[in-house]
This record gives sequence, C-alpha cells and structure tokens, in this order.
Amino acid sequence: MSGLQWFMVLFGWFSLVVFVVGAAYKAIKFSTMPLNLRWEVYPVPHEEAEKRHYGGSYMEEMDWAKKPLPSSLAGEIVEMGSEIFFLKRVRQYNPYNLWPFSLAMHWGIYLLFGWVFLLVIGAILKVDALSQITGIVGIVSFVLGAFGCLTLMIKRATNSELKLYTEPVEYFNLLLLLAIFVTGIISWLMDPSFAGSRDYVGGAIFFSPTPVPSVVLLNFLLFGIFLIYMPFSKYLHYLAKYFNFHQSLWDDAFKQKGSPKDLKNIEQVGYTLHWAGPHASPDETWLENAQKLLLEEKEEKK
Amino acid sequence: MKKQVNFRDIARLTDEPLIKLEVEDLIELPVEEPPMEPPKEKWLESYDFSLDGHSPFDRLKPKTQEEKERLVFGFMSGLEKLFNREANWTFLKIFKLSMDYCVKCQTCSEACHTYVASGRQEIYRPTYRSEILRKLYKRYFTPSGKLLKSFVGADVEVNYKTVWRLLELAYRCNVCRRCALYCPVGVDNALIAREIRKIFSQELGIAPVELLRKGSRQHLAKGSSTGMTPAACKATIEFLEEDIEERTGRKIKFPIDKKGADILLIQNAGEFLAWPDNPAAFAILFDAAGINYTLSSEMCGYDAVNYGVWFDDIEATRVGLKHLTIAKELGVKKIVVGECGHAHKAMCVLLDRVLPGDFALPLLPRESCLPLFWDIVKSGRVKLDPNRNNFPTVLHDSCNVVRLMGIVKPQRNVLKAICAQPYREMNPHGPMNYCCGGGSGFAIMNSLNFPQFRKKVTERMKVKQILEAFKDVLDPSIDKMVVAPCSNCKGALRDALAHYGLWENHRILYSGLVELIVNAMVDIPPFLKWEWEE
Repeated sequence: MSGLQWFMVLFGWFSLVVFVVGAAYKAIKFSTMPLNLRWEVYPVPHEEAEKRHYGGSYMEEMDWAKKPLPSSLAGEIVEMGSEIFFLKRVRQYNPYNLWPFSLAMHWGIYLLFGWVFLLVIGAILKVDALSQITGIVGIVSFVLGAFGCLTLMIKRATNSELKLYTEPVEYFNLLLLLAIFVTGIISWLMDPSFAGSRDYVGGAIFFSPTPVPSVVLLNFLLFGIFLIYMPFSKYLHYLAKYFNFHQSLWDDAFKQKGSPKDLKNIEQVGYTLHWAGPHASPDETWLENAQKLLLEEKEEKK
Repeated sequence: MKKQVNFRDIARLTDEPLIKLEVEDLIELPVEEPPMEPPKEKWLESYDFSLDGHSPFDRLKPKTQEEKERLVFGFMSGLEKLFNREANWTFLKIFKLSMDYCVKCQTCSEACHTYVASGRQEIYRPTYRSEILRKLYKRYFTPSGKLLKSFVGADVEVNYKTVWRLLELAYRCNVCRRCALYCPVGVDNALIAREIRKIFSQELGIAPVELLRKGSRQHLAKGSSTGMTPAACKATIEFLEEDIEERTGRKIKFPIDKKGADILLIQNAGEFLAWPDNPAAFAILFDAAGINYTLSSEMCGYDAVNYGVWFDDIEATRVGLKHLTIAKELGVKKIVVGECGHAHKAMCVLLDRVLPGDFALPLLPRESCLPLFWDIVKSGRVKLDPNRNNFPTVLHDSCNVVRLMGIVKPQRNVLKAICAQPYREMNPHGPMNYCCGGGSGFAIMNSLNFPQFRKKVTERMKVKQILEAFKDVLDPSIDKMVVAPCSNCKGALRDALAHYGLWENHRILYSGLVELIVNAMVDIPPFLKWEWEE
C-alpha cells in the first residue's frame, strides 16, 4: 500500500473531524453571543395559521402579554423547508434569474453529501442493492452541481452588476465546488458503478486502503478540502441562516421577569458602555447611562 | 443618466458627487413635477455634498488635515466597537452574521423602494453600503483582509471622504427592513445602515440635528422633541378641549396624570402641534367609549417618540426608561401607544430586552391603539354611521406597525366597519408594503437640500402606489383619503402630496385612522376637515 493511499485515508478522517469540530465551534460561538434586542419581521412562521398567512401577530389582540405565545413548529418547518429545498426567496425575488442555477448547485451539494452517506452505508453494510441508487445519486449530484457552479460563475463574471460584488474568493468557492463535481463526473465516466469511490470510502472506514484510480483520489481530496474549509468560509451561511431566522427575524417571544432571558438582560445592561460620544459616559454601564438622562454635553468632537 | 460606480469611488478625494440625480432617471410618475435643483452655490463651500449632491448635515466641512483625521479615527474606533460584545450587545449577533454571511446574490435589491425609485442607482442598492463597511472592516481589522487584501474584497481605503460618504449613505436608507424579508440568508442590510448611524452618533455625536440635538437631546431636556414643555402641553390640551366643545358641543376634559387609570395613552407630541385633530379625536372616542385612561404631563410622558430607535441605542434606552418609569409611577394597567409607528416598535418590541425586571411586558403591558379601536368599533359602544365616510379611501401600512409588529387586521376591520365604500389596498400592502419614504427620521430631516432627496426619491414609490390605488377616481371632483395611522408617515405624505400636487390637482388628502372613526360618530357633527393644512 502506498503512502498516498494512507495519506488519503488519514486526510479523509482529518477533514471530517475538522468539519464537525469547526462547525460545532462556530455554532457554539453564534449561540453564546449576547442576547440581542427583539428585531422580528413579519410574517413569522410559528404564528397561528391564519395570521401567518397575512403576516399578522399576537400583537393584533388586546391584552396579549397575558396570553400564551403562539408556537407552530409545523409552520417553521414548512417555511425553512421551502427555503432549504426550493430556495423560495431566490425564486420569488432574485432579479438576475439566479434561481435555477443556484437551485442546481444547492441540490448538487445536498446530493453530494447523500452520495457520500450512501457510500459509507454501502461500505459498512456491504449491501449490493445500494450500489445502483448510489450511482444515480452520485451522477445526478455531479451533473447538477457542475451545471450550477459553472452557470453561476458565468453569470457573476458577465453581468456587470453581479460582477461588482463578486470578489475573487467567491469565484474560488465556486471553482472548488466545480472541481469536486467535475472530478466526480470523470470518475463516473471511467466507472459508472463508482466502484473506486466505494473502495476508497470502505478503505478509509476500516483503515485498509486499496488502490483506486487517481481521479477518485482527487475527487475525495477536493471534497476533504471543502469540508475543512467550510466552517471557516461563507459556505457556512446555512448555519448563520438558522441563527438569523430563529434568533432574529422570527424571534418574537417577549420575556418574563426572572426568566433566563431576563437574567441575561440584567447581566448585559451591566456591561460597560465603551462608546465615547458627547452624550455618553464610556466607563459607566449601560444602565447607569440610561439613568442619566441629561449628561453634561461634552464638547462635540469636530 | 445612470452612472457606473464601483466601491473604490467612495474614497475619491474630490467634492464631485458620485452620482447626479436627474428626474428623467427616476421611475416615472404620471404627474408633472418640479425639476431637480442642484445644491445652492453658497452651500458648496461650507458643506459636503460629495455622495449624491444632497445632504441632511448642516455641519461644516473639516478644514484642516487634523480635523479630518479626528473624524476618521473616531469612525474606526466606533467601527471596532460595533464588534465588541459589551459595547454592542444590543445587536452584535444580527450585525456580525449579516456582515459575515451575505452571499451577494442581490435578491434584496428589488425590495428597496429607494433603489428602485432612483432608477436603480448602484449606491442605493441595499448591499452597496454594507459592502463598503464590510470591505473596511476586513481591510483594517481582520487577518484575512490584511493578508489576502483584494482577494477577499478588502480593497477600500479609509480616508475622510470614505467616512463622510458612508455617513451620508447610512441616511439614504429608511430602515424599513423590507430587504430583510427578501434575503434568503436572513441578512439585514437595513440593520447595517442603522449600525453605521450608531458609529457616528454613539462615538462622535454626529447625527442629523433633528434627530439628536433637536431630537432625543431636546426630548430629554425639555420633555418633547418638538420643544413643547409640560406647561405648553397643558396649554395645548386646554386649547383642544375648547376646540372640541366648539366643534362637537361636548365638554370633554382630557384626563391628566390620573393615578391607577387602566391605560396610559402616549401619543407623538407632533400630533398636538401639526395634527391636533388626532389627539382631539382620541379624546372624543375614548370619552364616548367610556375608556378609563390618562395622559401624562411629566417630562417625556406626553411625547411617545423615541428617535434613538433610528440611530442610537443609548438614547433609545434613556427615553424608553423614562416612558416606562412614568407609567409605573402612575400605576396604570397598561400603556397604549397612539398613532405613531416607531413609538409602537420602541415601546412594544425593542424595550422588551433593554430594560429588565419589573419592566417586563407581562408586568407593564404596552399595546397598540389599533386593536383597541377595533374593540371599541365592534362592541357597538359608540354609534357609527359608515355613510359619514362616503369617499374612496386607501390604507397606508406603517412599516413599524405592520411589517415589524404584525399588526395588520385591526385597522382593516375598522375601515370596513366605518367606511361606506370598500377601502382600497395599495399594491403591495401588509407586511410587503413600501415605506412612506419618511421612515427612520427622514420625515423630520429638513436641513440643507435633504427634503429634495426625500420628495424625489424615497417618497416616490408611495406616490406611485397612491396614484395607482385611486386611478379610477382621480377626478378632482371626488374627495379621496389616504389613511395613515402613523405620525411620521403623515409627515411624509403631507410632503409628497404637496410636492406632486395630489391635493391641488386630484383632491387626495391624508388622515390618521381615529379621525375617520370620530367622523362616523352619529351624535356629533362631521369631524373631518377637507382642507389642506400646512
């Protein structure tokens, strides 16, 4: 067994660990940020069905603070699902017709993970019946993904308005994905059963690498780089999206006295202000500043 | 003509504006309008118009290099504080995630009435100002920006012009947050505009004079952002009592500082001065419905506004604390906010997580006046005749009340019950409505030539919507009403209807909602005045 094969086994595990630890680290970092002020935007999908439909809220009622808060998990799941699987907002509102291309790329990525998952299951359970479905998922992923990445790159490079906002790193991100999908297509062309890919995954799982075609190794090398890079790049927007929607745009829950949110609030108004404007006392806390209604105006900074 | 602008232009060391606005580039309106005027010659020497030939800042341009450097240093110091968990706990999470995870798909662009109405000028795109801030932050504060520079987009240089133009850009957004509804990632570009405003206000004390010095500072010093003192407030109320008696024959005493009342009604003090029929109508309706309420004559207690909501968390907290303390001391069961959109959001939503403990909403409820209106109307406690309101009406949705609080139905239910003709909806409406163009302080910002920008660009989409809603009844022989239950929206509508001649040529007037309810009361004379009041 060659050093390269062993490297690829270890690299596979390493990339998986970095991905899991990195994404978890980011999720913890996001969730431990200070409790922000309420900043919701309606419609909020966990409202009761009728209100959700026209964008209403519990604040349309009288004495709402004495009533239980609405909470429809189904509403949130449907809204999130339509966003994740159909890119609803891009379809409805994007003025550059990015939707079909972006949808293709996103489904390419979803199916890429599905393909790897099926390879893992197939390697562990050694079920031949899975190989056909694995093959279909793989090639559909690669074709959709390659089409999506390529067309998005072309769109971004040729439309002057999109081009202005597209930095080299954004092309790099698309290029990395494109390379994964293209090497996937090549490996399929060389072997439509993805036997080489299955051998690599099986070898990695059981630490018994076997020789596989170079293009398969390249395909998994690029996928590993993608996993390592993802938590530290804009690829992680799926996680940010969760926090943006659930802890900002849809977070309409008012707090009760003595609740964890209230205690957090008490802690936070005790933070030092830091701001140095003429109407601010930077060394005092937020609460102390709030209680001082009329500070001596410091000389305005010119 | 629409000009190509790129990001590095923001740092151009010239007084030449990045773009020149021309009426022919803006979206078309089926009305004649005054031409776009350049800034007055005498202003050019003293003030900076280098963004788009407009400015709300009557602040003298820095003359020396030292003055410029002080501004840049203050800006950079403030920018760093936006990412500090103590200095910016109020919005750090939303801000940081919006800064780091925009995927630049531009799906939000068409949501913005300013961008669209301007003829899609690049600098007004919701992502343009965010991108400038992002590039500056990356370049000066992140290892990737310092190392990889333009590869990651860290390619805008900070200088006096960059800072000034960014300040101006922060005041080209109404913070209506329609763009946040469009974003597939939940990025909030309007919040970023507000965060930029915070840098300037909280770190440097720079904000439009109407918002800070004559706004929240004056509110806290004199009792109202209008400058109205408690004594002046009482005198105004006495005048209103006399006016009500004269017009309706009813002797109504406004309850003031009544301890233990069910409701503390807090209204925008601008109503007392600009639209006194609105607080008068509240008094007539509440009296007729037997509502146990009170007004406050305490400093700040008679003015619901909280301008800090638009630009400064410190000021927002101060004014909010004052409002809630007054309610606590009066021992009222709840606060009801009058027809003022941003005061609704401040009181019922934002203050929820600013002030802890006894100020929690279940202990001191804060509610909109709109559900209460509907409760009064549907209860039949006040006899109403819809035929009193027999004219076409169109409803304008205040962003703060509708998109940002989800109060959509009560005002519609009221209109259905009190108008003889079905009320009209704007297109789009409800949470997808367009801002009136006066949001986030624009309605009261009148320095230099900023009003021209407001009338021509930010209010333009609303004028288009109104004309479309009334397209079959534009004949000036038919009186028509735009119903806007929000003071700032009314300010913007007054501005726009006058500028485009909609009252003069089409008899389109505007009003709050409570005036229409009182106009439908059968046992008093009609309340609405079909006349234009400046």
